[in-house]
Amino acid sequence: MTAEARLPTRQLIKPDLPAFDHATLEPETRAALVELLMTMADDEFVVGFWDSEWTGIAPLLEEDVAFSSLAQDEIGHARIWFEMAAQLSGDDADRLAFHRAPEEFRHARLLDHPRTDWAFSIVRRWLYDTADSIRLGALAESSFAPLAEVVAKVRREERYHLMHLDAWLRRLAAQGGEPRDRLESALHSLAPDALTVFAPLPAEGTLLDARILAAPTSELARRWLSEAGAVLAQLDLPRLDFAQPPADGRDHSQPAESFRWLWSEFTSVARLEEGVEW
Amino acid sequence: MRGRRVSQTTSEQPSASEGRIAPEGRLGEGADPSVWEVFRQEKDGDPMRHAGNVRAPDRELAMHYARELYSRRQESVRLWIVARTEITDLSDPDLLQPPLDRSFKKPGGYVMRDKLELAKERARERATKSSDT
Repeated sequence: MTAEARLPTRQLIKPDLPAFDHATLEPETRAALVELLMTMADDEFVVGFWDSEWTGIAPLLEEDVAFSSLAQDEIGHARIWFEMAAQLSGDDADRLAFHRAPEEFRHARLLDHPRTDWAFSIVRRWLYDTADSIRLGALAESSFAPLAEVVAKVRREERYHLMHLDAWLRRLAAQGGEPRDRLESALHSLAPDALTVFAPLPAEGTLLDARILAAPTSELARRWLSEAGAVLAQLDLPRLDFAQPPADGRDHSQPAESFRWLWSEFTSVARLEEGVEW
Repeated sequence: MRGRRVSQTTSEQPSASEGRIAPEGRLGEGADPSVWEVFRQEKDGDPMRHAGNVRAPDRELAMHYARELYSRRQESVRLWIVARTEITDLSDPDLLQPPLDRSFKKPGGYVMRDKLELAKERARERATKSSDT
């Protein structure tokens, strides 16, 4: 095979996405769905990159492999959501992932926090994964069949992630002294931003009417507060007591310094040379 | 005594299995409690095979790490995770590799060919006789 005939890597490795006809959706519904998918894609993409920072420096060699693998899984999920959003909007998944300005990202502000220490990364990931699991649950019966199909697969992987994160949360909580102190201090810093995962979507009504999303984000936030709150209470950890997800929870018109830095990292290779196919 | 290691009594040479599976040596009581041996089944119906080991502070994390190291690429359908402290190591050459000839315990130790021919001959004769009557 000549070099010219070689396909770009991304065209050779197809994402695990069922074929679908985007014309089955009303344009308004399609636009609303793309917005939702972009929030999910950006969440997974950003948390995947932050957590991959532990590669090589995690507390145990085995945990290093495990945490890196979990981070990779999230990049894999991001890829599926980017691809689906790209197919629905006539865009390109690579462009969505690597060629947007930091201001255009829609990840929850919870994920703006930098890596910090191990307890912090565990708490951040636990808060995000438990929230993501509630969100995926609300998409499991989606009227848009390809979405429901992919969500079912993603949930099976997230089940394992939750088990892993839960094991670590309990482990750190059960230790006295420094691990417990670091865990509590991480919860204090992160808790105020935890509900940003459920920040209201601009076209939420459209998604609810089309039965793509089963419940409003405010209802999902309540569910999450009750479920995650119960676990934290059981471990005698600080409570999560704030009522409404903030409306600007996914606004990056003034990107955080930490996210600007992460963005410059994950786009650094893509920005080396415009238009290159890898 | 549970998990007691039956030690080598006559040889100073480490056994092949010890060199390959447990370079640190000790199994059973006195073994490093943070080491877990992992066995994997590649597909349904296959035997469980030793895959390697992981270091983990407890059974739960051992399960997670075994999953990541031995099946994150879907290469197993089942894993067994066994604490090294629970393993009985038997590598005593007096028990496993006794020095005297053991060929009579193997099928190849008997010269069967002639006996088999005679038995077949007798069977043929009987069959001929019974068909004559």
